[in-house]
Amino acid sequence: MLLKLDLNDPRPLHEQVADAIRRAVVQGDVAPGDRLPPARDLADALGVNANTVLRSLRDLRDEGLLEFRRGRGVSVLRRPDPREALRSLARDLLDEAGRYGYGPHDVIELIKEMS
Amino acid sequence: MNDSSARDAAFRRRFLLATGAWAVLVAAVLVAVPLMFESRLPDPLATHWGPSGEPNGSMPFAVFALAALLWVLVAGVVLGAAAAGRVAMRRAARRWTTAPLGWTGALLIGLQATTVAANLDRRRWEDAASLGWQAVVVIVAAFAVGGLGWLAGRPGPDERPVAAGSAPEALVLNQGERPVWVSAAASPVGAGVALVALAAAASLGVCAFLGLPPELWIGAAVFAIAGLAGLWLTSIRVKVSPEAFTVSYGPLRWPSRSVPIGSLDRAWTEERHPADVGGWGYRGLPGRNTIMIRGGECLVVRYTSGGELGISVDDATRGAALINALVSEKH
Repeated sequence: MLLKLDLNDPRPLHEQVADAIRRAVVQGDVAPGDRLPPARDLADALGVNANTVLRSLRDLRDEGLLEFRRGRGVSVLRRPDPREALRSLARDLLDEAGRYGYGPHDVIELIKEMS
Repeated sequence: MNDSSARDAAFRRRFLLATGAWAVLVAAVLVAVPLMFESRLPDPLATHWGPSGEPNGSMPFAVFALAALLWVLVAGVVLGAAAAGRVAMRRAARRWTTAPLGWTGALLIGLQATTVAANLDRRRWEDAASLGWQAVVVIVAAFAVGGLGWLAGRPGPDERPVAAGSAPEALVLNQGERPVWVSAAASPVGAGVALVALAAAASLGVCAFLGLPPELWIGAAVFAIAGLAGLWLTSIRVKVSPEAFTVSYGPLRWPSRSVPIGSLDRAWTEERHPADVGGWGYRGLPGRNTIMIRGGECLVVRYTSGGELGISVDDATRGAALINALVSEKH
């Protein structure tokens, strides 16, 4: 399993680790049903504390991406729907825009300018 | 059929003919020698000698003359495997055919010759000559012939499995990113065998404890050691990080061996099977070591010093791609 950690990311480590694992799942590195390497191996490879990895794994389990099974370790339950993930981000963006008085059309214009 | 495949077919024919001729020669000697001396040997004749060098076991002549059957069985299995597969085309597999054939043939002939010589012109098997240094000579000679067999397996083509050396494309690495790859391989069959050995050790231990012969403790210890060693070698974990390439054994990830990325030349994937490398576990052939947990896709790394290490591990393509990316970044 290939994981990439962004060294300049200011967010808490456990969120970064969760992102890295989520990305691996989205990109098909690990398919639903596949087992993840044990947390201590991931921690050792990423150079973070095992508890940090466990926290990320629990977060991903709460999202419904992973499944914990006694004696069988952690396995992938389903692939996240990128559309769904983007939808929640877009809602956040629209909420934030609304606070500054921008409507959805202004946000669309902004995105068009950027792309 | 093109030139090289015609040459390969001719080589294969020659190899099978030569090994077959050796098998027939050994069988002929094993049959002829007892028949030639039958009238001068006691029946039964001494076939086992104690540590003091005095004969302490015997066998009817008819059974002794059947030693050739044992050879036919061994040679038949080895040659059958060589004739059925691509053994003749791979150096390592060829050597694992010629060396055992040489060793077994020489050992059987040597044992037979010393036995016949010790029994020659004796009236009862108890009168047979004592053996001491002769046994050492036979064993040394067997290893020498086995060594010759090993050398005899060297000449000829050395076919590599398809796609050997085809390195996957290096990954694109972004600055400020820490990429790591973690993978593992496990052999459920090996683990099963190890657990059976541990169960056998436990049962023998219980039997010995309940008053059966205390020698059972030895068996229990042997099974326990085999089981634990097996359990150790049925799983492996491989890690690639920007600093090093690490291989760890067993459930405790110990022992563990790290090689700095700077000492690696490149990596690729290759199909390797236990039959290609000489079995399971850590298989050493000069310049071409393999850690064989299960047959199939292996990650192969080449050191800048020239040696190669293959490891049977899942998801090897991505691991090789990351190693190549890290290596090209370092150089």
